[in-house]
Amino acid sequence: MEYNCADSSVTLCRSCDLVISKRALPSGVRALCPRCHTTLYDTPYCSINGMLALCLTALIFFIPANLLPVLELHFLGSIRTTTTIEGAMAVANQGYWIVAIAVLVSAVIAPGLLLISVLTQILIIKYRLNVPFFREVLKRLLRFHELITQLSMLEIYMISIFISVFQLTDYTDIYLGMGTFCFAMLFLVTLFLQREYHIEHMWNIIDE
Amino acid sequence: MSKVSQKQQGKDLGLTLCPSCQQLSVYKKRHCSRCGSVLALRDDSSLQKSWALLITAAILLIPANIYPITIFTSQGQTRHDTIFTGITHLVDLNIIPIAIILFTASIAVPILKIVGLTIYLTAISFRLPISKKKLMIGFHIIEWIGRWSMLDLFVISITAALVNMGQLLDARPGPAATAFALVILLTQVAAKVLDTRLLWDRLESKDDSN
Ligand SMILES: [Zn+2]
Repeated sequence: MEYNCADSSVTLCRSCDLVISKRALPSGVRALCPRCHTTLYDTPYCSINGMLALCLTALIFFIPANLLPVLELHFLGSIRTTTTIEGAMAVANQGYWIVAIAVLVSAVIAPGLLLISVLTQILIIKYRLNVPFFREVLKRLLRFHELITQLSMLEIYMISIFISVFQLTDYTDIYLGMGTFCFAMLFLVTLFLQREYHIEHMWNIIDE
Repeated sequence: MSKVSQKQQGKDLGLTLCPSCQQLSVYKKRHCSRCGSVLALRDDSSLQKSWALLITAAILLIPANIYPITIFTSQGQTRHDTIFTGITHLVDLNIIPIAIILFTASIAVPILKIVGLTIYLTAISFRLPISKKKLMIGFHIIEWIGRWSMLDLFVISITAALVNMGQLLDARPGPAATAFALVILLTQVAAKVLDTRLLWDRLESKDDSN
């Protein structure tokens, strides 16, 4: 049995392959698969300018969040500080480089790549989509988007900063640094950006 | 849409979703017209890959729990803490909320993931009569909570960088840290590579309604 693919009123469930007829949805509502409850689609709407603003704000916080100390330890008159990258280096120096790579990728590299990728996508869409070279770049970025999103774990790092504070207060005095503030802002802005961003909408722009 | 019956699968119509951009495509075309990815109706080898990754992760879970994950020195006294004793130590210090968070992230989640994925893969491989809907809901939960296990590794890296003052106060990771990192990585990939559509093909259709 053959099927005409131009028919966009039908879709498949990515988890269980069920054939589903698409219906128009009110905004903010998600369609779930009736058989296995996987998210199918939602009303793809995103404001390009709003995302651009969020993306630039996030990038402004990104650099101090990674370069300024996230925690300060005061112990017998001396002060120790640590940044996210120094934390990873400290474990790497003791031979635990797999742990160091995991920390670096999920707290620094993937979030950074995510922001740069979204910024590039927005700029291409906003200014010069019609050039074949840029279309190709956009396609490649969209294909890697999901992987980068999964690798990025800002929210988990945020909570681990607070857990470290609680664990160490028994032994010594701990202070939050300026980096903590920037990191928290980076986390919040990225969270809003990811709520605005819809990959299906981005793919639809390529179709047009 | 009279042609589309209730329980029809894309495979029966020669249709498939593009694995990277999720566009509906006719399988015969072999490549997605939008992004150029190779199309596949099903990935049968994904079951074997997933099993291999899962078994490796299950084996690594043993060293991850037996060996110390942190080595902490305070005023000349050194403690070697495994994941479990680290958490009981927090309970002794009366930091219960943190102990609960770390217990969930470092012990409950990895074990749940490995047990859950094992049930899931066994159900597909041996066609066990378990409700597919329940299996799928479990699978979505496993995918979502898996990344929270990274918590412990982040805490270790922050503490190790901050606390190094020789005999007075010192924290460093122990051998279990690498094993634990690999357990998280492997289980995450095992869930990722699996083609979940296989579950719905392989089990008896009578379980559909469950
Ligand atoms: Zn489904």
